[in-house]
Amino acid sequence: MAESQNETTYWKSLNELAQNREYQKFVEREFPEDATEMTDQVSRRSFLRVMGASIALAGFASCRKPMQKVIPYTKQPEDLIIGVPNYYATSMPFQDTVTGLVVENNEGRPTKVEGNEAHPASGGRTSIYHQASVLEMYDPDRSRSPRLNGQKSDMAQFEAFAAEHFSDTGRSILVLSESNSSPTYRRLKDRFARRFRNSTWITYEAFGEYNVLEGSRIAFGSKLRPVMHFDKADRVVSFGDDFMNPAEHKNSVENAGKITARRKVRSTEDDMSRVYVIESNYSVTGGYADHRIRLKRSEIEAFMGAVAAALSGQLRGLSAYSGVQNAFTDHEWVQKIAADLLENRSNSLLTAGRDLSPEAHATVAAMNAALGAIGTTVTYHRVPHLDDEAGPEGLKSATDAMRNGEYDTVVLVGGNPAFTAPSDLNFSEALRGAGTTIHLSNYVDETSRACSWHVNRAHYLESWGDGLSYTGIASVIQPQILPLFDGVSEIEFLHILTNGVKGNGHDLVKETWRSQVSAPFERSWEKVLHDGLSEGDGFPAANVRLTGNFQSSVSGFGQDKKLGMEIVIKADPKLFDGRFANIGWLMELPDPMTKITWDNVALMSPATARKLGIRDTRKFNSDAVPVVTITTETGSLDIPAWPEPGHADDSITLYTGYGRTQTGRVADGVGVNVYPLRTTEALDYQPGTVVNAGRTYDVACVQDHHSLEGRDMIRTATLDEYRKKPDFATYKSVHGYEVPGIKEAKAEGDDKGPISLFTETYGSDDQPQWGMAIDLNACFGCGVCTIACQAENNIPVIGKREVARRRIMHWIRTDRYYEGDEDNPTVYHQPVPCMHCELAPCEQVCPVAATVHSEDGMNQMTYNRCIGTRYCANNCPFKVRRFNFFNYAKEYLTTGDDPEIIQMAMNPDVTVRFRGVMEKCTYCVQRVNRAKSASRLATGSRKPVDGAVQTACQQACPANAISFGDLTDRQSKVAQDKMNERNYVMLEELNVRPRTSYLAKLTHPNG
Amino acid sequence: MSKTYEYVPEPALVKGNHDFGSITRLVTDINLRPTPKAWYIVFGISNLLLFVLLASIGYLIWQGTGIWGLNSTVNWGWAIINFVWWVGIGHAGTLISAILFLFRQNWRTAINRFAEAMTIFAVMCAGIFPAIHVGRIWVIYWVFPVPNSMAMWPNFNSPLLWDVFAISTYLTVSFLFWYVGLVPDFATLRDRIKSKFGKIAYGIAALGWRGSNRHWWNYEKAYMILAGLATPLVLSVHTIVSFDFAVSVIPGWHTTIFPPYFVAGAVFSGFAMVLTLMIIVRKIYGLEEIMTDDHIEKMNIIILVTGSMVGFAYLMEFFIAWYGQVEYEKAIFILRATGPYAWAYWIMITCNVLSPQFFWSKKLRRHVGFTFFISIVVNIGMWFERFVITVTSLSTDFLPSSWGYYSPTMWDMLTYLGTFGLFGTFFLLFLRFLPMIAVAELKGAMPQADPHNYNDEGEYAPHEEIIPEPKRSY
Repeated sequence: MAESQNETTYWKSLNELAQNREYQKFVEREFPEDATEMTDQVSRRSFLRVMGASIALAGFASCRKPMQKVIPYTKQPEDLIIGVPNYYATSMPFQDTVTGLVVENNEGRPTKVEGNEAHPASGGRTSIYHQASVLEMYDPDRSRSPRLNGQKSDMAQFEAFAAEHFSDTGRSILVLSESNSSPTYRRLKDRFARRFRNSTWITYEAFGEYNVLEGSRIAFGSKLRPVMHFDKADRVVSFGDDFMNPAEHKNSVENAGKITARRKVRSTEDDMSRVYVIESNYSVTGGYADHRIRLKRSEIEAFMGAVAAALSGQLRGLSAYSGVQNAFTDHEWVQKIAADLLENRSNSLLTAGRDLSPEAHATVAAMNAALGAIGTTVTYHRVPHLDDEAGPEGLKSATDAMRNGEYDTVVLVGGNPAFTAPSDLNFSEALRGAGTTIHLSNYVDETSRACSWHVNRAHYLESWGDGLSYTGIASVIQPQILPLFDGVSEIEFLHILTNGVKGNGHDLVKETWRSQVSAPFERSWEKVLHDGLSEGDGFPAANVRLTGNFQSSVSGFGQDKKLGMEIVIKADPKLFDGRFANIGWLMELPDPMTKITWDNVALMSPATARKLGIRDTRKFNSDAVPVVTITTETGSLDIPAWPEPGHADDSITLYTGYGRTQTGRVADGVGVNVYPLRTTEALDYQPGTVVNAGRTYDVACVQDHHSLEGRDMIRTATLDEYRKKPDFATYKSVHGYEVPGIKEAKAEGDDKGPISLFTETYGSDDQPQWGMAIDLNACFGCGVCTIACQAENNIPVIGKREVARRRIMHWIRTDRYYEGDEDNPTVYHQPVPCMHCELAPCEQVCPVAATVHSEDGMNQMTYNRCIGTRYCANNCPFKVRRFNFFNYAKEYLTTGDDPEIIQMAMNPDVTVRFRGVMEKCTYCVQRVNRAKSASRLATGSRKPVDGAVQTACQQACPANAISFGDLTDRQSKVAQDKMNERNYVMLEELNVRPRTSYLAKLTHPNG
Repeated sequence: MSKTYEYVPEPALVKGNHDFGSITRLVTDINLRPTPKAWYIVFGISNLLLFVLLASIGYLIWQGTGIWGLNSTVNWGWAIINFVWWVGIGHAGTLISAILFLFRQNWRTAINRFAEAMTIFAVMCAGIFPAIHVGRIWVIYWVFPVPNSMAMWPNFNSPLLWDVFAISTYLTVSFLFWYVGLVPDFATLRDRIKSKFGKIAYGIAALGWRGSNRHWWNYEKAYMILAGLATPLVLSVHTIVSFDFAVSVIPGWHTTIFPPYFVAGAVFSGFAMVLTLMIIVRKIYGLEEIMTDDHIEKMNIIILVTGSMVGFAYLMEFFIAWYGQVEYEKAIFILRATGPYAWAYWIMITCNVLSPQFFWSKKLRRHVGFTFFISIVVNIGMWFERFVITVTSLSTDFLPSSWGYYSPTMWDMLTYLGTFGLFGTFFLLFLRFLPMIAVAELKGAMPQADPHNYNDEGEYAPHEEIIPEPKRSY
């Protein structure tokens, strides 16, 4: 059935390959090079692999016309060698920030994004959103044409309509835009406002930083954005700020990079900062903290008030809080934190979560100011484009006006307010009441369906644009490909509205930048495009002083709030407000803390679960979890309950973004939409009731057991313990005795491990020996390594049913263990790729020798040879092998009406695996071999210099936790890491001699 | 007449007043009579199950191994359990025919043909599983050392490869042994059958057997040699099957006790299966005088012995886990008894260790109905033993993060059920067309075959004291 279809496509591509003269040339040119290597079977096999890759390329190249437009192969472009990817700088907009990226482009197809090292918001690192944006662009469910009243239309018709409709400049127009920092966008916005005098412009984000800005306005008199310099902070106190989570903080990559850098320990001389996190749900930042204080969301501000009160006696500027008396005044940790802050004063950094009240942000600002931290660990910056953002109140008044028929035209630039707007606004109903409504969006989503016009939007990888980073560094967004579905970017869209024709995005951006960069313009412009950012320091730091009436503004802050059961609504760590809901990679990424895929749940503490009469742990042998009914003033919903150790009691955390109905094949029908509970009055949390609904629901969680069982996979010590006993992580220190067999091995001159039956040694002198070290002190569990690996290695998305069967295909997973008290346990994250064991147990049991060792010390998987006995996976002590139980790749790559689209996202250097074969982490062998041959061509040595080859997981990691390189180079980062006394391998007693090792975790607790 | 016995004499192997002719008729008339209706019904059911097997395999090959309940933690499930289970069952035949032959246990002649047939069909059922459980069955021939242009040989380090050789050798030798034993009986059938087609078919199978002295001489030598060849195989097959587990690094698998433990378990389950089938067959075909209660008792004694050996092995596993002080090994055994699969473990203990203990009672081990019940219980228990070994060890191995529960799907169950169809189909064909008792061998073990039991005139005059009824238990 489907099998034969696949065959047809394959041969069709081959025929096309044969008929295409360009490819004939290409094939002829490629052959002789490899043919010279054909001296033995091994080389012949690698030759076949090269040929296989070129066939795959040919198949891709014949897919889509737009590619031919980007790179016309009638004449070979100057800087393009087929088979060698090009890298272009661009940046990804997210809310009103951009992050600098470098995109790998294979013959006109962007296939992988990396961070731009020169860009401060990235530093070469990325978040899951950046990594997954490639798949978003190739999402076949994206809108492909404008639609008029639900009927397919085209761009010319829309342009004609806009020219006619907007020729009347007296129209009353409401523009509802998502947050955007683009200078070009703002230029066009101003032009629009000048042209349409009766227009109102409202910017709205479901999860914006309104309270942060409002807080600084209360404290300092103007809206300012705090920028945190964690690299300079010795003490960090976060009041509900999950600043390492991209859904909770726009600058999470930089934050994570800086705080982990400050906590990197190379030797006993090094110091670490100390992190306190006060929060309700267990966040990745909370997991990374040295002390996590578990409070209900509604109690955090009282706790903060108590800290301010405790500081007020010692510090000037906090007199407003001296009278604060609440339940936390005598709390042990209030006193400890206050004392610790007073010891470190200007080296402290306080921060508050985005959703906390403006008064809380004002209080944090005042405490930072009083400690003298402003200017050293935290700086405040005016962000011009946020000055006129109205926030939820603005949206409310605009919606009311819309409902009253005050606008004859409503233009929605991006966003999906029909889904994300507070439920009390009844936004979609109000929208239906407006006259002409136009929505620009990536998907035909809830808002599009409520509008008369939908205009399909171009993805950032397809369009020109620009934007400012969190700290104000300007970057240009360069398209990597012509729009796959002929969409328009937001600037082109605005141009249509004002001028009636789609402008040229490139020209519009360039025009803006003429005034931004120094002369000569073309040269500077080229440099900006090349570097991915313009020179400059970004937003200047403001000189701040508490306002005179500060005391009265925050009076009453810090009072106890008694709420009973509270319902907290947060942006999903993976789908954010729902905008990433149709990206399979994100949907299938296990949640960093719960390890749940393909669903949202009601997080609660085990004690609360018991109170509700449901199990406080999940059954090991069942996916079924109880469902609870949550009722608030505005509505009620049924959602599966998930007892999460460490969650605050009497508090429920819900994540947004799920429960879509008409967005796309991935998003639809997954999870529960919790926006109906979110109102203008209760954007953050509200009281509610929770009852057991008496039924169950199957949740696909990739980790069923959460305790370490006292095993030594994770080794940890406090900083003090480490200084006293630097080798605390060795097997001997952990167990009290040497690994059995180690003395016998040493007697025989083998210093690599216990005595072994096997005498193979790997590695000739002219080959590098690859190894990896993962610093558990840096890893905070975000999961970007998994997505980066998935993008690099063509790993399929397999869907909830298969994940529930525990068949997830990820080559690198992050294990999460809880340890200690169920109420507030310690959390450990451990990324686990293939260990590339030197004495690999998988290799010994394969009956057909499909998994073997390479000369450069990698455990390789030969897909073509694999017959799929799965013995290797059974015998892998680390369970890192993944089996294609079904033809996942085919299902992933050939479903839908035009499967060629998603095929274009594949990395041509990596084989797509078929049914019935085993696969696993390869240490990115394609990158390794590319670097090896480049090095051999350039220097004659097969050993690339350190840093020349980075694995995908290593490259993406914002915490810089992974080092990879040649172990024969004693100076390489990885060799240095492995010489560190904290270095250990898992399951040393098995004597499999893993090449992947871990650096033990350190904490820096108070007292 | 008084005499002091130096040994307790064997009770008569064949009850009733049978002579050579009546034995021949008793056994071969089954093949010569018209096919009974009941046979067609049972055969039809078996065919249906066989179809279930073929359909399940077809769907498996069409869809992929994913239709089974396997996952990334437990990569082997029912397929491997069934494989080991069927191979274990296939142990009894060769043990009965080869080892008991070498030990001159003449009582084996009543059941050896029957048990050997069971062995062959059980090994066939077993062999299906390793073949179909692979991801890409269309390249399964890569496990054979077939010379090829890539100069790729299989990995001779892999126990799975040893399996390939062990199982195929065992099947070949078992079949040859069975066939050689059949030759004189084929000749008997050839001589007795009326239909022409039957004569030709049995005639070809009889390889020209005329019962000459020379034929008998060659036959007995060949039989002896094959028995000698088969004897080590009885031990090696399950030893090598156990290596699939023992050679790995997985806690609960990586133990040196596995070879003897597996062999004992295999004999245990094999005898149980022989009993199950024998009790039905002797009833239906009225062969109680050949397959007597004495046979049942003897086999029950073997079940008691091997069952206790298996129980001892279970105990030793725990002892060594504690004595060895390997963290993961200890954990896996505690989890077996108390963890998520404790139900399977206690089913196994109940069926395999406790149930055979009833056979300490002579009354129970001579009780046909009770024996039948226990034989089924033992087979269930031995299936669960393989389940416990295969699944629990994988499901909770080294890294707690990877622990996962395995449960089978409908297709796992249907495939297993289907193998009973395959087994039943072949076994019914065997019952219908081949003499289910080795007539020639049985006659050789009868008192009539002893020349001392004839008087000078050549008339049959057995010494009375040679065939006394048993007077006391031994």
